[in-house]
Amino acid sequence: MSLLPYAVAAWLFGVGLYGIATSRNYIHLIGCLSVCQSATYVLLLGIGYRFDAIAPIFYDHPPGTPAVDPVMQALVLTDIVVGATLTALLLVLALQVYKRTGTLDPERLRPMRGTRAPGPRPRSTDRPPTKRAAPPAARS
Amino acid sequence: MSPRLRLCVLALAALVLLPCAASAIGALPEFGGRIAAYGAAINAIAPAERHVANMVSAINFDIRGLDTIGEEFMLLAAVTGTVVLLRGSRGEGTTDRAVRLPGRAAPRRSDLVVLACRVAGPLTALFGLYVVLHATVTPGGGFQGGVILSSATLLIYLGDGYAAWRDSIRSHWLDGMEGGGALLFVLCGLAPMLVGGAFLENLLPLGRFRDLFSGGLMLIENLGVAAAVTGGFTQLVLEFMEETREPDQPDDPDGATP
Repeated sequence: MSLLPYAVAAWLFGVGLYGIATSRNYIHLIGCLSVCQSATYVLLLGIGYRFDAIAPIFYDHPPGTPAVDPVMQALVLTDIVVGATLTALLLVLALQVYKRTGTLDPERLRPMRGTRAPGPRPRSTDRPPTKRAAPPAARS
Repeated sequence: MSPRLRLCVLALAALVLLPCAASAIGALPEFGGRIAAYGAAINAIAPAERHVANMVSAINFDIRGLDTIGEEFMLLAAVTGTVVLLRGSRGEGTTDRAVRLPGRAAPRRSDLVVLACRVAGPLTALFGLYVVLHATVTPGGGFQGGVILSSATLLIYLGDGYAAWRDSIRSHWLDGMEGGGALLFVLCGLAPMLVGGAFLENLLPLGRFRDLFSGGLMLIENLGVAAAVTGGFTQLVLEFMEETREPDQPDDPDGATP
């Protein structure tokens, strides 16, 4: 029973990883990454917890009252802030992928080849040129 | 790689990782028993040494302040990357009109929504300021309060529409707040070195315990963080909103849009 929070963290991470591996949509994939990240919140708060203790803020309680680990709470705060901005950055990347290729499906993306310059292809691909997805619906 | 093959690789990796994770979980300290010595030492010492009641702020701004500078610049880098990516494909041009899908009716905003947002917006901003200012006393701080302040501006958008929201937000100010906040934090670190202290050494008077003005240098660092987070998050929202502007506006002076 005492290992339950850690098991929850491991389970959350596993579920997120499964979602990332099987994802067919970048937005969904970013959501799965957030699930993976929330596993770290559970793990950190679980490590820092102790029974019958207060939050590490000695305003109503005098200093010296048993309190939970403040280092873990500071780490989770950092985690949340950086995670939020990184999610924004990843969403922008997904947006750019959609604008360029017209799809959000990782399966249908082809490796980038740069601009189509006249001249020989840098390397021949063994795949036949598959149907490209339709260009993004007219957004200039 | 086909999805089936990918699942097989994932299963193989899980087969290897599961025993490792199980043994690591088994070796972790008992849940709820005791906390690490570092955290316990901070709980025991910091209230007397730094005159602050909020241990999380004491760690973020004083004891591990250097780490928070790193976090601050991570935030700055992520926001800058987002802005550069969005503006790179869109150009610098901005407009205060949101996109309107042809054929979809735009219902008028109900008076109740407008009233509720106009009442709740300033109150939310006030609460954000309260959370920012009481960083060293009660739960809160620059990060939390900055996000609340940034979401308070969104209530203007909800209540008064896109044009009014854009009218009350100045993009250049947001840039200044974000960069200036990070700069203020670094200057707080460098200033003690001018008088012979160490980087980020808390040389200012510490104030009284449980007082609003307690913590010395932490208060200034906290303001820097609040400005950076408010500016950064509002800038993120603004840039994402700009993506939905009218597509047929010929207002791209650089012609950067492909």
